[in-house]
Amino acid sequence: MAAPYAFRFAFQSVLREKWINLLSTLTIATGLLIITFAVFSVYNIDAATKKLPEKFFMMLYLEDNLHGQGLENVINTLRKDNAVETVRYISREDALKELKGTLKDANYVLEGLGENPLPDSIELKLKKEAVSPETAKRLATDAKKIKGVNEVEYGEKFLSSIHSIKVGLKIIVLTLIIITSAGIIFVCYSTVKILFYRRTDEIETYKLLGATRGFVRAPFIIEGALIGTAGGLLSLIGIISFYYMVLLKLSLTIPLFKAILFPTNIFLLLPVTGLFLGITGATIALGRLRF
Amino acid sequence: MIHFHNVSKHYDNQTALRNINFSIEKGEMVFITGPSGSGKTTLLKLIYLAEKPDEGNISIAGWETNQLRESSIPFLRRNIGVVFQDYRLLSNRNIFENVAIALMIRGVNDKEVKTRVLDSLKTVNLRHRVNSYPKALSGGEQQRIVIARAIVAEPTVVLADEPTGNLDPDTAAGIIRLFKEINLKGITIIVATHNRELFRNTCKRVIRLDNGNLVGEEVG
Ligand SMILES: Nc1ncnc2c1ncn2[C@@H]1O[C@H](COP(=O)(O)OP(=O)(O)OP(=O)(O)O)[C@@H](O)[C@H]1O
Ligand SMILES: [Mg+2]
Repeated sequence: MAAPYAFRFAFQSVLREKWINLLSTLTIATGLLIITFAVFSVYNIDAATKKLPEKFFMMLYLEDNLHGQGLENVINTLRKDNAVETVRYISREDALKELKGTLKDANYVLEGLGENPLPDSIELKLKKEAVSPETAKRLATDAKKIKGVNEVEYGEKFLSSIHSIKVGLKIIVLTLIIITSAGIIFVCYSTVKILFYRRTDEIETYKLLGATRGFVRAPFIIEGALIGTAGGLLSLIGIISFYYMVLLKLSLTIPLFKAILFPTNIFLLLPVTGLFLGITGATIALGRLRF
Repeated sequence: MIHFHNVSKHYDNQTALRNINFSIEKGEMVFITGPSGSGKTTLLKLIYLAEKPDEGNISIAGWETNQLRESSIPFLRRNIGVVFQDYRLLSNRNIFENVAIALMIRGVNDKEVKTRVLDSLKTVNLRHRVNSYPKALSGGEQQRIVIARAIVAEPTVVLADEPTGNLDPDTAAGIIRLFKEINLKGITIIVATHNRELFRNTCKRVIRLDNGNLVGEEVG
């Protein structure tokens, strides 16, 4: 029965204290925008680097004149490795043909060479989930030990830097999200606390007239939820306007921007996140008050 | 209804009440009198649980107050309507809302709130001021709003702390008449006042305090 009054009191308070509530809402919206952009960047970097493992391969250069049993042995040993997806043998003749194919019109570069300078080789593709600096390194060392393998080559630096960029970025973004969320909770906490202290007299009167704890607290929790949700909605509007007014226009003129992904459904979570953070802040604020 | 047994109350180094014993039965109308600072307000505060006794026991409507759980206090208070000496009106709410709040905290629905608030305001002759704010009312008018708020939820006990402090003798007499009418419905009334005129010829019980001591009883 008291619930409608709690909502009414909360709405009255939002209007009565419109400036402080507006300021809090804007702050929350800004915080949520920061989180959104962070998530947005990670999402895009992840998407952009998702195809990298498919392109990743390792080249094994073989000793000259390795045929029959020796070659079979190398290929079979490699196939047994868990990290290996495919093993492709490339004879020196095929390698030359491939090279000519890529060079096309610049074929003359090769004309000076009398004999085929290329070695026989094996191209290894790794399983998607196995593409990591550690596995690649391990596989390279193992492969080098196989009899008949002369040299192993792969983009070691490239792989490890991509990996550390991804990990580093995720740590930074996660830290940012945690700090910003804590900030938003703190804004809701302070707002509710200020509103509470501004009304201690009024609250004391309610209590003397026989109001329960719930009757006194509920409007504040609702108010925290309201400013949190409002902040979430505002940031949603912000991010959607960013999409239509900036990203969409940019991608019309600069095609590169077309590659940027915009996960609309994720952004729908914003009001819910705001609601949750608002309630959390308000609950903490009231939890520490004596009455 | 209300029993005080060896009750004492001290503030810091000040003794407000010393070893008080009395009982008030259901349906009685009682005056508490005594000079300023004698402990009248303190005594009422002990009844509506705004203060706790330092010694002794108080029982109200069958509840032993020192055994009462914190969460039960609101429900005990709902049996009591209080006319506060300092009014405690909400300055940012109009008269209607100020009276209605007593019903809202009890979860009474809007429709019933409306009829009961208007009835109550009619009782104190301030029906026409429903939309005013406390600031726009005279001291005496504010006092009558507080009375309306105290009786609107039909409590079993009404505590009135100096309810006529701001009223002229005629209006004051009217207020006492009003309390007597309410009392006739079986509601227990306790009026704290230093004004002897209020209880003269009322034929009601008068409890006399002086400097925190209960010094005597008489009939007004
Ligand atoms: N909150 C408090 N802190 C300290 N002392 C207090 C407090 N409230 C009351 N007192 C003291 O307790 C004594 C009794 O006060 P109380 O308010 O009960 O008197 P009263 O009879 O209601 O007086 P009045 O007629 O002026 O309203 C006084 O000496 C007062 O100074
Ligand atoms: Mg007093």
